[in-house]
Amino acid sequence: MLRWYFSAIDNQKLPPMKLLLIEDENNLAKDISTYLSSSNIHCEWVNTLNLALEKISAYEYDCILLDLTLPDGNGITILKELKKQQKNEGIIIISAKDTLESRLEGLQLGADDYLTKPFHIAELLARVHAVIRRKQFAGNNRLIINELEIDLLAKTLKVNQKNIDLTKKEFDLLLYLIGNKNRVLPKSSLAEHLSGDMADMLDNHDFVYAHIKNLKKKLSQAGAKDYIKTIYGTGYKWEV
Amino acid sequence: MGSINKQPQKLLHQTLRGYVGFAGLLLLLSIPFAYFLMQKLHVDDIDEALILRKKEFQAYHLPNFTLGEIPQWNKYNRDIKLIDTLQNLTKDSLLQQPFHDELDNEIEPYRVLYSPIRIEQKTFTLLVRQNLIENEDLIFNILGLYAGLLVLLLAGLFGLTQYFSRQLWKGFYDTLQQLETFELGKTDAPTFEETHIQEFERLNSVLQHLIQKSIAVFESQQEFIENASHELQTPLAVLQAKLDTFLQMPDLSQAQMQALDSLYDLLARLNRLNKNLLLLSKIDKLSFQNLENINLKTLIEKQVSFFEEQALQKNIRLEIDVLENVEIKTNHILIEIFVSNLLLNAIRHNHKNGLISISLKQNELQIGNTGQPFPLPENKLFRRFAKIDSSTQGNGLGLAIIKKIADLYRWSITYVMKNNLHTFTINFNKS
Repeated sequence: MLRWYFSAIDNQKLPPMKLLLIEDENNLAKDISTYLSSSNIHCEWVNTLNLALEKISAYEYDCILLDLTLPDGNGITILKELKKQQKNEGIIIISAKDTLESRLEGLQLGADDYLTKPFHIAELLARVHAVIRRKQFAGNNRLIINELEIDLLAKTLKVNQKNIDLTKKEFDLLLYLIGNKNRVLPKSSLAEHLSGDMADMLDNHDFVYAHIKNLKKKLSQAGAKDYIKTIYGTGYKWEV
Repeated sequence: MGSINKQPQKLLHQTLRGYVGFAGLLLLLSIPFAYFLMQKLHVDDIDEALILRKKEFQAYHLPNFTLGEIPQWNKYNRDIKLIDTLQNLTKDSLLQQPFHDELDNEIEPYRVLYSPIRIEQKTFTLLVRQNLIENEDLIFNILGLYAGLLVLLLAGLFGLTQYFSRQLWKGFYDTLQQLETFELGKTDAPTFEETHIQEFERLNSVLQHLIQKSIAVFESQQEFIENASHELQTPLAVLQAKLDTFLQMPDLSQAQMQALDSLYDLLARLNRLNKNLLLLSKIDKLSFQNLENINLKTLIEKQVSFFEEQALQKNIRLEIDVLENVEIKTNHILIEIFVSNLLLNAIRHNHKNGLISISLKQNELQIGNTGQPFPLPENKLFRRFAKIDSSTQGNGLGLAIIKKIADLYRWSITYVMKNNLHTFTINFNKS
C-alpha cells in the first residue's frame, strides 16, 4: 500500500502520518507540532533522550525529527539505537550545530536530512514530505490536483494532459507551495528554500517575485486555475 | 619599523659604528702629536750626532791641522766644512737651514752646527750639517702607519662583532625567529631555547608569560563568540517558528501582515549576523582540515550562476574573463565563502544598471564593481562592523570575513578605485 505524502491533496481519506518530534525547547516543539498537525501529520512530542528511546522501541513512525542537544544526552544515541534495531524511519536532524563534522556524523549514522536552526517550519514540512516520499514511494510518484498532474520523480508538470515546461526552481517552488497548501509562506522562507545553503548570504528576496510571476504565467497560460495568491506583499499562498 | 629613508640597523652594527668612530677620531687627533713628537726625537738625535762629529773633528783632526789643508778638507767633505769666521759666534750654535742640493737639484732641510774653532791662532767656524727627513715624508709615513692601524682595528672589531653576534646573541635571534613565526590562534606557543645570558632569560620568560596570557584571552574570546552565537540560535529558532505560526492566523490585516514582513526581514538579518559571527570564530579551525585543489574557474562560474539572479534585480551587467585551469590548494568551504562574499559585496554596493567585472589570471583574482562615485576609506574597509554605506543591509562582516580568510592563507588583498570601479585584487601567491 502506498501512502500519499501530501495527505489530503488527492481527496482520499488516509490515516495521518505519524511523526516523532524529539526537541527539548517547548516553545519550538509546540509551534512545530501545531503547524504539522494541520497537514494531517500526527505529531508526538518528547523532550528527553530517555523518553525518545522508549518511544522508538515501542512504536513505528513515518518520520522522526531529532534535536541533537538534549538535556540528558546527545541525539546521536538515538540514531545508533535505530540502526541497532534495524528500523527504517525517516530521520531529520534539527540542530543548532552546523559544523561540517556534526552534519557528516549525523548523515553517516543514517539520518536522511539535516536542518540547521533557525529554520522556517514550512521548510521543515517540505523536508518531511521529501523524506517520506523517498522512504515510501515505490514506483508511484504522481500527484494529481484537479487539472494539475505532477510527476515527482521525473519532475514534470502536466496541465490538462499537456506538458508544461518548468525550470528547476519553478518546479521546486511549486512543490513547496503545494506541500504547504493553504498557508501563507513569507518571501524569506521561499527564498531560503530556493537558494539552499546560500540563503543566509542574500539580503534581497525580490528574486522570489520573478519566479512566482513566471510560474503563475505558465500555469495560467496552460489554462490552470489561479492557485497562487499574493498576500499583501508579505508572501504567497497555494489555495485549494 | 624604520621610515623610508632610514633603515633600521643591527644593534651590533650600531655599537660597531660607535667603536669605529671613536677609534678613528682618536687616531686622527693623535696625528699632530705623533708628528711633533717624532720630529723632536729626530732633531734631538741629529743634534747629538752633529755634536759627536764636532768632537771627533776636534779630537782626531784638529791637533795637526794646518791652514793649507783647509781647501782640500772642504773639497772632500760635504757635510763638515771649515768656513770663515762668522761674526758674533762665540759658542756653538745649532740651527735649521735649507741648502741647495746640486745632485738632486732641490732645496733640502738641514740641521746645522756652527762651532768656533782655532787653527794656527786664526779663528774659523766649523760647519757640521746633516740632512733632515723631509716634513712631507714624515707626514706620509705617519698617515700610512695610522691607516694601517685603522684597517687592522676595523677588521678586528668587525670580526669580534660577528663572533659576539653569533655566540652571545644566539639566544636573542632564536627568540626573535620564534616570535616571527608565531601567530595567535594558529600556531602553538613558541618554546624558547635556554640561554645563559640573564637579560635574554628575562626577556624569554616575560614573552612566554605574555604569549600564554594572549592565548588564553584569544581562546576565551573565540569561545565566547562561539557560545554566544550558539546560544542565540535557539531563541532565534523559536522566534522564527512563532512568526511562522503567527502568519497563519486567519483575518490578519494588511498592516499586521506588513509588520510581520518587516519582522521577517529583521530576523533574516539577525540570522545572517549570527552565522557570520560563528563563521569568523570558526575560520581558523576550518583551515587546517580538508585542504584540496580547487579549480577557481569552476568555482567562480558556479557562484556567478547563483548570484546572477541577484544581479538581475538591479540590472547589473557582468563581465567575466576567467582563465582555465587556475588551481589553488585551500579549504573548499572557505574559498566558497570567500568568493561569494566578494560577489555579494559587489552586488550589494552596486547601483542600478551597474557593472561587475571579474577577471582571473594566474594567481590573481580581480573583482571590480560600480557603486558610489568616491573611493572607500581603506583603513575602515576590512574592519568588523565598519559600515561604510548605511543604506545597505550588510552587517559589516562580509569584508571582515574576506580579510580574515585572506590573512589565513596569506593571500594579499588590496582595494583601489580604478576607472570608476571599486576593485578588489587578490593575489593567491603566498606573500
